[in-house]
Amino acid sequence: MNRTRWIFFAIVGMAVAIVVVGIIVLAPSSGDQYTPPGREEIDTNQAVEISVVTALSIEPWIRDAANQFNQDRHILEDTGQPINVTIIPMDGLAAKSRLEREEMDPMPTAWIPDSRYLTELVNATFKERLGRDVFLTDGEYRGRPVAITLLAWGIYESRAQALEQTYGAINWQAIHDAAVNPDGWDALGGKEEWGFFKLAISNPRKNVSGLGAMVAAAGGYYDRTGISVEDVNSNDFQDWLAEIMSSMSDLSGGTYTVQDLALFGYTTGDAGQLLESDLLLNMEGIQTRWADPLRIVYPQYVTWFDFPFTVWIGPETTASQKNAALVFEEYLLSDPIQQRALAYGLRPVSPNIPVDGTDSLFIRWESQGAQTVIPRTTAMRSPDRDVLQDLLRFFDLRVAGR
Amino acid sequence: MPRSHRRARPKRKQSAAVIGALIALVMVIVVGGCLCWAIYQGISTTASLFQEDSVDENGAAILRVAYSPEKEEMFVRLVEDYNQADHQTADGRALRVHPIRMESDAMLLGAMNGEFEAMSPDSSIWLHQLDQLHAEQVSDPNAFLVSQTRHYAISPIVIAIWKDAALELGWPDRALGWNSLVNHALANPDFTWSHPSTASASGLLATLAEFYAASGVTRGLTPEDLQKPETIARLQQMEGTVSYYGEGEWAIAQQVNERGREYLDAFVAQEQLVVWLNQQGHEIIAIYPVEGSLWEDHPLALLEIEGLTNDQRLAFEEFASYLESPEAQAGVLDSGYRPADLNLDLKGEHSPLKATNGVNPDEPRTTMQLPGAQVIDQVRNVWWLIKRKTNVYLVVDTSGSMEGKKLFNVREALMTFVNQIEGVDERVGLIEFWGDVDTLVPLDRLGNNRDALLGAIDGLEAGGDTALLDGVTRAYKELQLLNDWERINAIVVMTDGQENASHISIWDLTEKLSRGNQTGAPVVVFAIAYGRDADYGTLEQLAESSGGQVREGTVETIRELYKILSTYF
Repeated sequence: MNRTRWIFFAIVGMAVAIVVVGIIVLAPSSGDQYTPPGREEIDTNQAVEISVVTALSIEPWIRDAANQFNQDRHILEDTGQPINVTIIPMDGLAAKSRLEREEMDPMPTAWIPDSRYLTELVNATFKERLGRDVFLTDGEYRGRPVAITLLAWGIYESRAQALEQTYGAINWQAIHDAAVNPDGWDALGGKEEWGFFKLAISNPRKNVSGLGAMVAAAGGYYDRTGISVEDVNSNDFQDWLAEIMSSMSDLSGGTYTVQDLALFGYTTGDAGQLLESDLLLNMEGIQTRWADPLRIVYPQYVTWFDFPFTVWIGPETTASQKNAALVFEEYLLSDPIQQRALAYGLRPVSPNIPVDGTDSLFIRWESQGAQTVIPRTTAMRSPDRDVLQDLLRFFDLRVAGR
Repeated sequence: MPRSHRRARPKRKQSAAVIGALIALVMVIVVGGCLCWAIYQGISTTASLFQEDSVDENGAAILRVAYSPEKEEMFVRLVEDYNQADHQTADGRALRVHPIRMESDAMLLGAMNGEFEAMSPDSSIWLHQLDQLHAEQVSDPNAFLVSQTRHYAISPIVIAIWKDAALELGWPDRALGWNSLVNHALANPDFTWSHPSTASASGLLATLAEFYAASGVTRGLTPEDLQKPETIARLQQMEGTVSYYGEGEWAIAQQVNERGREYLDAFVAQEQLVVWLNQQGHEIIAIYPVEGSLWEDHPLALLEIEGLTNDQRLAFEEFASYLESPEAQAGVLDSGYRPADLNLDLKGEHSPLKATNGVNPDEPRTTMQLPGAQVIDQVRNVWWLIKRKTNVYLVVDTSGSMEGKKLFNVREALMTFVNQIEGVDERVGLIEFWGDVDTLVPLDRLGNNRDALLGAIDGLEAGGDTALLDGVTRAYKELQLLNDWERINAIVVMTDGQENASHISIWDLTEKLSRGNQTGAPVVVFAIAYGRDADYGTLEQLAESSGGQVREGTVETIRELYKILSTYF
């Protein structure tokens, strides 16, 4: 080999060396390296991270369970990796809106909304966009309820007595009549200093229970469990419902919850249809803070919330994450965790756990009206999407004045 | 040989060309590599710039939380305690909270601009307003910027009144409220009361109470109610009894603490400030209006802004959990707030919520209805039209010492003041003093003279001595001549130096102010001591003799100070 060739190879060698060094220097760290499908090298110490967007009313129980789950270091059997769960509390309607607007960043692995009809609404949106469901209704990834609760009347005892004295029973019609009375509590068998009757329900734009209460009111008005678009658009019904909702103490857009009923007491709400679990959970605090205890009254038409654990079916999360979500779901459905749901005022879905078991708030607050068995025959049927949209439109125009 | 020579020479030339090309190739690769490296570095730096708000120099996750000023003492202490507890992510990185003081209404813009990830205004009203703004911006009624909301401290809005004044009103035998307060003020012109502007919850809610009272309804307030001529007339009458407004209840409480009853007979504030004033040794009681009160609920809200990280979510959760912890909740109660933890007994032995501190934990009995966001918006707009109007003279030092950056910043500050006053019916004038005094823009409606004021401010120049007292005297004489009882009459005077050129003495001027304010329409002097060399003593005497106040400003803060003072009018 002559000198020229040596120089030639030397220069080519240098160029190759520079390129190789450059690649090594500029290459992303090993954690970000692309690994072809099927040749994934799994670090068994590296946790599979999953995030679960959780409805606010069930979040304390889910967070408690997630902390225990993470501490126990549950393993994903396929890969041998530990699973780490992060809980993101978010109201069901807000989560629905963010999912539909594709604003979830990062995309959660799973969602526990307040009710399955929220997942159906999101599915309907994505079916138009993608031609498929994003939350499955059958198969191993289908949504499965992890606990249930319902809407019940929470009413301060002194107010309950006054209403019963005046109207006989506490139902939507009695609430309506109290709401429209121009002379307030003075004319309702109560005291003048109580002011006007104040209804405590959540803003349906911001909290699913508010929307559920409107559906329940329609059930009470029509005396049946199924509500149609024609029903909610009837002028008579809308006038009646607007009169009831005009007695809400906050029309500015707040989300009224049982926590608010407990914190602000009868100053902002005399009675309202709110989540039974929240009522039970806050009962003790209400008795400490306010002179008047709270009573639970079950309505004739019951709206149930079933908190389905639903896995997002999309490329934004990996197969390992989806499977890890199922492991967490199984954990939530296990008897010890279902047992703990009782301490949060929730009704377990596991048939092995009786509602009147140990730690049951239902037994503890039986004296305040809590019942373990509710007749299911009057459960409101899940309304369809158009009914809900029309109710929200009614709220915007007739109540919130948007 | 010659032939081979001839053949060899071109071969060498070819080799040289190849070598040259290769060298060029290497250089291209090297230069290209360097360029790639530079671009890579650039991208990395830009990315880190985007992340710098969420992570500090030590890698700690930062959650920026805006808070309203009235709870500064408690909130900052809670943040410090939280940060000291060294909360961490699962992989050991610190989670820290960075507090940002901000008026509640200013938080709306800050949140829309993504200046912080969480906020704790004085009331949830602002959260609802923020969601409405966001929904309008993205044209989707289902889009919310506010996600989680947590409560840690609440306090009802009350009428804080000196005990003697309350007794005059019939307390404790008579149930008192918004109507009795306003009626008493209308019947007794010497009775002084105040509520903050609608930029704070207590100001907004006091105004709302007046709207209810004036329109004769107790709920279901509509936009039509707000436009009725008789409602407007009654509102103007009610607002005419307000001595002056102000930047917020905390500032008012501080003035009451310093000046006593001579500053105000009553003011609208949260219950916690009544506790605080009693703890300072004053006898002030909380009137829980019989028509209904409202709550300052101090929500802590997480905002779903672009770029919110999981670490910041975790920091929010940790911080909120800390605020709800028994330790923090006990501190909340100690500060005179009602804690969110319902297990803490408000009537317990160590609770400051007791009659000896002027408050009653069994109250309030009922609240007024909070109307929809649009009505609230309209209440704020109508308030600007019906609020008590102002005659205010801006008296400005343009002596030699104001030369340079000092005068430059004062020009900016004065322009902010003029632009900050929204109404066109407010009357504003401008007087400058140096060795002499000159009325640059006579007092007139802002609708007529706003441009003239801005032009005159822009043209201010420095030079000469400091005839501070003559400048104030000129403004005072002009306001006295008007003898306008319907409006707030005020002088906002600023100086950076010592009085050295006036014809009138401080004694004569303060005597004139005190006497004149007793016989004619009162004029209040708000004084700004600008920089370390300002004649603070003289300014203090001017303010005291007129029922006003002195504020200290620097080159850095002067603009904010004028902005704050504009809220008094």
